Amino acid sequence: MVGRIKLAGLIAALLFILLPSCTLAQDSRFSVSPAEVYIDNLPLGEATEFELTIQNKEEPAHNFTIATFQPSKEERWEGRAEFPDNSWIRFSCPEIEVAAKSEVNITVTVTVPREQKWAGGDWEIWLGVTDESSDLLAVRLYVRLLVSTEPAVGTGTNAGLIAAIVLGIVLLGCGGYYYFRRKAKPQ
Amino acid sequence: MKAVISSIVVAIILALIFSLPVLAQESGTITITMTGANDISISLDKTAWPLGNVTLNTDYYTSPPIEWCTLTVEGNCNVNTFIVGEDAEWVDNPSDYKWTLSNTGGNGEHIYGLWFRISGDTTRGPLSDGYVPITKTQSEFWPYSGGSGSSLAPGDTKQFGLKLLTPTSFYGGRQMQAHITISAVIA
Repeated sequence: MVGRIKLAGLIAALLFILLPSCTLAQDSRFSVSPAEVYIDNLPLGEATEFELTIQNKEEPAHNFTIATFQPSKEERWEGRAEFPDNSWIRFSCPEIEVAAKSEVNITVTVTVPREQKWAGGDWEIWLGVTDESSDLLAVRLYVRLLVSTEPAVGTGTNAGLIAAIVLGIVLLGCGGYYYFRRKAKPQ
Repeated sequence: MKAVISSIVVAIILALIFSLPVLAQESGTITITMTGANDISISLDKTAWPLGNVTLNTDYYTSPPIEWCTLTVEGNCNVNTFIVGEDAEWVDNPSDYKWTLSNTGGNGEHIYGLWFRISGDTTRGPLSDGYVPITKTQSEFWPYSGGSGSSLAPGDTKQFGLKLLTPTSFYGGRQMQAHITISAVIA
């Protein structure tokens, strides 16, 4: 009996652990809208913006963080490839406090570099809004961002078009000149 | 001379008439589609699990073990949900001591395991007992590959419980804190 008490005392002394913290649990009820964003025909090198709204539905203020997340192939929608570079997406506030029962707008800016290899892309990336709670369980809501860039025909076609216009003007000018000249000649 | 000028003017007008539609196609507009009606939100009715003192190499279950926490879909769109865990950190000095979260749900020296089980899921997981390891890589919560369930609709609920497997050895007398994030994306 004495041996058993000694053993119990030893275990208590060695393994005095609490998990998780004793802080009071905070409810977390918030929403994010829109839940999905499509950007089609995004020109390379140009920035485009849209807004996400975070609504805190609870009484205390909450801190939220916003970050990108690369979903796996199985989680992406059909036909969508991995977004090439997370740094092309910027948030006006990566961390923000939202007052009780109120909402804030976060501006998201997407810029794809002006390189032809990024033309014709169909990509997907998720934007995660996380309630930074100290509790064991936290909630994160993702917005699906689906980005398509302009087709690959870009600058090459423009150069060809300009050349064709110049050539057309020259040819039409010459043709018109000889036509009027011949017409003006006395018979 | 008059004929020359007339010819060039006519040529420019004709060239512009034919080229403008082509130019218009080249300078396409960006389309940003945000389905504003889609509002994503989930809630958890419990976020803390105060365990108190724990001993090494022991399983701890939430009470009740499976219907401990209820996840409710509160937005207006169907969602797929995911779960991810983190290392448990010493509250007093997080950078100084931690328990590493196991990749398999098992334990070791300063390595702990976390598991979840969804109510009604009796055969899921490596042991086919319904319990699934929570790792540091985001994985499916509900629905899941190979399962018959579908994405959760607004108003749907899922009840689940947690299991903690403590390390085979750890430093005693330290308050540890773990984090689990449950996330959702539009289905």
